[in-house]
Amino acid sequence: MSTSGPPKEPVKYVEKQLHLPYCYVAGDYKVRYLAALKDKTILGSKCSRTGKVFVPPIVASPESFAPCDELIPVADRGVVTTFCIVNIPVIGRSIELPYVAASVALDGADISIYALIQECAPADVRMGMRVEAVWKPDGERQGSHEDIIHFRPTGEPDAPLASFMHRL
Amino acid sequence: MSRQAAVVGVGQTQHASRRADVSIAGLVREAVDRALLDAGLEHRDIDAVVVGKAPDMLEGVMQPEQFLAGALGAHLKPLIRVHTAGSVGASTALAAVTHVRTGLFERVLAVAFEKQSEGNAMWALSPNLPFTQPLVAGAGGYFAPYVRAYMARTKCPPHIGPMTAVNARQNGGRNEYAHLREPMTLDDVMNSPVLWDPIRYGETCPSSDGACALVIASEEAALRGPRRPAWIRSGASYAEAMWVPGRDQVSPRAGKICAKAVYEGAGITNPWKEIDTAEIYVPFAWFEAMWLENLGFCDPGEGWKIIDRGEQRMGAHLPINPSGGVLCSNPIGASGMLRLGEAALQVMGRAGAHQVDGAKTALGHAYGGGSQYFAMWIVSNER
Amino acid sequence: MPKLRNVAVVGFAQAPIVARDEHRIATEMLYEQVRAALAQCGVEREAIDYQAAGSADYLDGRPFGFVAALDVMGSWPAKADLHLEMDASFAAYYAWLRIQTGDSDTALVCGYGKTSEGEPERVLNLQLDPYYQAAIGLDPTSTAALQASAWMARTGATDRDLAALAARRRAAGARNPDAQLHDPASAEDLAQTPWAVEPLRRGYLPPVGESAVCLVLAAEGKAEKMCDRPAWIRGVDQRIELQTLGGRDLSRSAGAKLATERALAMAGLARAAEVDVVELCATTPAEECILCEAMGLDAAGARPAINPSGGPLAGNPLMMTGLIRLGEAFRQLAGRADGHGVAGARRAIAHGAQGHCLQHNVVWVLGDERRWT
Repeated sequence: MSTSGPPKEPVKYVEKQLHLPYCYVAGDYKVRYLAALKDKTILGSKCSRTGKVFVPPIVASPESFAPCDELIPVADRGVVTTFCIVNIPVIGRSIELPYVAASVALDGADISIYALIQECAPADVRMGMRVEAVWKPDGERQGSHEDIIHFRPTGEPDAPLASFMHRL
Repeated sequence: MSRQAAVVGVGQTQHASRRADVSIAGLVREAVDRALLDAGLEHRDIDAVVVGKAPDMLEGVMQPEQFLAGALGAHLKPLIRVHTAGSVGASTALAAVTHVRTGLFERVLAVAFEKQSEGNAMWALSPNLPFTQPLVAGAGGYFAPYVRAYMARTKCPPHIGPMTAVNARQNGGRNEYAHLREPMTLDDVMNSPVLWDPIRYGETCPSSDGACALVIASEEAALRGPRRPAWIRSGASYAEAMWVPGRDQVSPRAGKICAKAVYEGAGITNPWKEIDTAEIYVPFAWFEAMWLENLGFCDPGEGWKIIDRGEQRMGAHLPINPSGGVLCSNPIGASGMLRLGEAALQVMGRAGAHQVDGAKTALGHAYGGGSQYFAMWIVSNER
Repeated sequence: MPKLRNVAVVGFAQAPIVARDEHRIATEMLYEQVRAALAQCGVEREAIDYQAAGSADYLDGRPFGFVAALDVMGSWPAKADLHLEMDASFAAYYAWLRIQTGDSDTALVCGYGKTSEGEPERVLNLQLDPYYQAAIGLDPTSTAALQASAWMARTGATDRDLAALAARRRAAGARNPDAQLHDPASAEDLAQTPWAVEPLRRGYLPPVGESAVCLVLAAEGKAEKMCDRPAWIRGVDQRIELQTLGGRDLSRSAGAKLATERALAMAGLARAAEVDVVELCATTPAEECILCEAMGLDAAGARPAINPSGGPLAGNPLMMTGLIRLGEAFRQLAGRADGHGVAGARRAIAHGAQGHCLQHNVVWVLGDERRWT
């Protein structure tokens, strides 16, 4: 081996494909949330101090630090508070491009969920647009996030910006 | 207990999309050797090492500081490894400052790096969280909706992002270490593909391999050094919860709290007047306008006007990211430390071709997570 | 030595270590511990001005896993914060540094992660250098076995010695309500268990376990108000070594030795044996012997009592096993070690470690009296 400076050949690579299996616990709140999707119901959890509602349900309010000990249903419709149109693929994802990933504030919830907006041209999606969940048909719902296929416009009048700008 | 600390050495690598000429250890060592050389020190002068980087999934090595201990010169020294998402490079530097300010350490080496070419960054940054529909497409997909909200809120014209990107690239052209240095025109950016509408390709940071290292020293050690140090007037890192109803991701409260802390710590009452230049974490061009507001350089809704008037360009009132910033080089874990290191170089008067004339007081800034983590410092040429 | 502040552990809450909590995700487990630790201290969240946490993305099986913990740590409005990709005992070390600067007086230190969700043997392989040691498939049991072999070869220790030590820890664990293994096992029984990787038998190794922990630190002036018997930190030091297994004497822990010397010096103690109780982050009996030698302790002696909690051999929730040692030392000094208290304990050593073969060690010396006046 030469000791007079670095080798002239390029550094070689060690190629490694990592396959690590994980088996995630959903947690009791998430289990009830997922099970309720089977019945076309979206559950949220209610803060014991402020009454604010979190969807999907979480055990404690990050705002008040108090427990959220009550699960309550919220609407399966709401307003697009903001969104983007995704034009580039991610490894392992099969959603057809372009697609709209939106922040949707469901009626009765105090935080927004991420949702896929379909059944309209991406260019027609607006901040303030009213949308509703499109469910898998009866008998096909498994109690998973895939029970909601996507959200679609309801055709209702848009919500004014000022009504949701504080809760993107 | 109110001990001062200073930056006495700054080192960074050549940043590039693929540093095939070096291993991870070689990349890190390139920055460390330069920082030590800059400080006129050797490994034996270092009392502790603080390492930062973004998710380990980016390179496929868990807690890589463990296998890098030798390359870091850390054998039988205290070491900690920081991970605060995108802000990590900055919070790593601040953790080194904490070490020094206890009085227990004279000189601490802070190192941050990312070798993004060794993994798949889009994948590593697009978590498929269990029981959740996978919709977020990388960091751009996460932040684009908030850029849209900023546009809607301020009714700013559509050329603000592109103008920012053009200016960043102009600045990057003067920075010999920058990954992207070729000039761009407004049309280039406007006509570039829209990746995550409303964010265009030309408004997006690159994916880089790179590292940065800083030597942080006590007041006594800094005064003994061969060069004029950058005095750290104040520093702070704050983090806030995610799912807070009404949490504003366009101008997060954590950013305001952190900025207030560093301004108060440095005795700054009017940042627009008292700060000479700032290196702020702008991974997507629109965030420059957003952060100008969040950092209190102007009133809410006015950030884009600073850019429209060109007041953040080199030679203007408040040059922002004279190095070209994250838009020109983005080795994720190191990006925050580069912001703080570049701010230090400015007040040391050693920023080379991108030196801001007469810079005496500078802000370094980084953020991360869902705009939840903020880390900043104010450096000055005076104690 | 600069002038230092007296800082104490004033609260510690731990979820009992279990093989797998089927009902709660990591943050849900942590939330209860944060609430419990604050309740012990009799304070609201607002009373704590710093927070630090330790966890690892690869154990969580997702990038940025720690971000979700902000939501259960009371991080609203924003808190001064640092997350370390390390065992949470190092987060405690950093929080202690932070309090030394005077910028904070109190700190929450959290550790969390559901080890059971992944396969830790495969995950921890990724800690090794990717070019050689990881590539040949070494996992933590294999590296620990190499270390045990080195220890046995140098000292003449036998399989029976390892079995006897493991049995003592199992007996202790049976008295610790938070331990994972509660059933005592005799040395004879353990010596009958199959090899995991020779010379380590399955009975000498902890099972996969998970927990969530929250520890509270407070500086003098506040500590006394938050705890009737604070455990004062009298000294602390931490050291990392080279990872390369062939590059160090695996039968010794130079890092633990140096960290102990420095921590004892800070504490004003001449020898580790001057303390009453020691909690070691040793995941095999051989590691425990190596640590005892490095620290100048008798692993088989009656005083100081070593790992009265059962130690990691009775429960090893990754990324918090080290912090639990500090918490256990606090429990001993504060008289809160239900069922496994060491009578008259006034001084303690707590040790945390991470990495293969004790690569990185942190050593704490605690006492029931303040160190500095």
